[in-house]
Amino acid sequence: MKILAPLRHSEEVAPLLEAGADEFFCGLTPPDWESQFGLAWANRRAPESAGISDVADFERIIARAGRRPVYVALNAPYYPPGAVEMLAAFGALLLDKGASGLIVADMDLLLALVEAGHASHLHLSSLATCSNAGSAKFYRDLGVRRIILPRHLTLSEIEEILIPGLEFEPFLLNDGCVFEEGLCATTHAAGAFCTMDGQGTEGISPGTLERYDFWKWTLNHCGCRTGNGYPMGPCGLCAIPRLLASGIASFKVVGREASLERKEASVRIAARSLRLAQDGAGPEEIRTAVVEMRGWSQMCDERHLCYYPDIWERKGGGC
Amino acid sequence: MSSCMEYGIRVNDVGRLPADPRELCPASWRSVLPPGPLRAIYFGSEFCADLLPDAAKVVRLCGDARDRGVEAVLLTPLAAPGGLVRIEQLLAGVTQAREAPAVVFNDWGVANLLRESFPHLQRRAGRLMNRGLRDPRLMEKAADSKNAPGDRGRRMRSLLVRYGVTAVETDPDLDGSFLGDGTEGLQRVLYLPYAFAASSRNCLIKADGAQTVDECFTKGLGLPCNGLCRGQWHRVDRSDTTLPIWRAGNTIFYEVPQFRAEVQIEQADRIVLHERPTP
Repeated sequence: MKILAPLRHSEEVAPLLEAGADEFFCGLTPPDWESQFGLAWANRRAPESAGISDVADFERIIARAGRRPVYVALNAPYYPPGAVEMLAAFGALLLDKGASGLIVADMDLLLALVEAGHASHLHLSSLATCSNAGSAKFYRDLGVRRIILPRHLTLSEIEEILIPGLEFEPFLLNDGCVFEEGLCATTHAAGAFCTMDGQGTEGISPGTLERYDFWKWTLNHCGCRTGNGYPMGPCGLCAIPRLLASGIASFKVVGREASLERKEASVRIAARSLRLAQDGAGPEEIRTAVVEMRGWSQMCDERHLCYYPDIWERKGGGC
Repeated sequence: MSSCMEYGIRVNDVGRLPADPRELCPASWRSVLPPGPLRAIYFGSEFCADLLPDAAKVVRLCGDARDRGVEAVLLTPLAAPGGLVRIEQLLAGVTQAREAPAVVFNDWGVANLLRESFPHLQRRAGRLMNRGLRDPRLMEKAADSKNAPGDRGRRMRSLLVRYGVTAVETDPDLDGSFLGDGTEGLQRVLYLPYAFAASSRNCLIKADGAQTVDECFTKGLGLPCNGLCRGQWHRVDRSDTTLPIWRAGNTIFYEVPQFRAEVQIEQADRIVLHERPTP
């Protein structure tokens, strides 16, 4: 079982290995991309704030990661006409240079890479919304190696999706999403559409809109807060024991665009929780350890940060 | 545009069908839409498995469609495991009653289910299979997609043909080339006048009907929904776009600018008209 960590620069490799990362993912844009496709993004995050600067730094990442796998996200939900061919060639180049896999969402890019013989190096992005076992079977039949599960699934649902012949990777820490990311047809390049969602909707009670705003605030790391240096965003640490038992291959720590400090803290708390789970700890012990490290116990007690709140019994306080 | 446009309409119940399907649209759209006969009624849900009708209702709608000489088309959503089971049970019930609606899938798991367990049902790829951008903030501003070169979705359409799919359906997106040129033999279907902008299982309307805070948003995932959103659509006031926006159930919709629709109508063989935003 692995902790998958985000990268934006080769200088981050060593400290994240030290913090407990087992494998890495990063984003990279082809050198000639902008001249042909303007401001369209080659992966889901903004290249200037979340991407590796160039292929040379990617090569340094590969060298510094050693035998640790490095995956590259080419996971925009769609590409403009003509882009798929460029990205398929770029993906092949990255595999040649040592990438262990490519994270892909767009079906045409996925099929182009399958046609080129790279299926066994493909990780299906959460943006492709593989949310049932039949869908997983479809992608397995195409030869895909790993499924990155969408954020908004319960633990029971995850357990029903896992099928033999595929690796599965759930979200573990950070960066919530209001909508189903793969069904958000807007772009953060124009600003996060969800920021303004809720208020302004006619016919919804003020109390519900207030709860919606609070929930969105938790998804956004409680207004970008940390507790003792640890991010206060969506968190599935207490669910690790159950996810381990179900056969999960790797746990995703999100946030390529985050500072190195936040990445280190995220990987450290994730690796600590994984070690506890591997030593037999249950959800309660992990929660105690997490609260000791992160503080803000109320956020855990009331399940406000949980990616998988169904690990805990429902309390049922009135609206 | 094909020489003879045909129409489908999105319905919840079959009452009186309009003599001219364009009557369903706001008046401003009628001059944009070419004339053509009504050929299909669409029902079901593209966005939420909790909104799927039961088998008895689908059977009734199929009968109504047959009585009126139009095709019955069942819409199905992206599905979590429970949703996939629900869809399978629904299709089993409908086929047991010897009805055979065409089925629009929006999930590869549903596509697989249709291929393996209900191969006699006509299968059609729905709008969620097109992940193209539809950001309303850009739809009203960006350059005319008529100038976009290329043919987005070509490989996926080839795959659809190999999988025995007969149609590819979408609402207008920014790029505008997803439906292709028709050479694959897939019927090309465009939904108007509403496009979806974003959808989520963390449903605001479901939360509005929740009895406890522990049933809201992430905490409410997997819990049954009472379907408060049925028949409801809520106007949304946003300062970052001038396009009319609504929330219906778990999905945000907006009215597509007509200049974008006009370009994409040229690529369509069928237009499916929605009287209102419907999840």
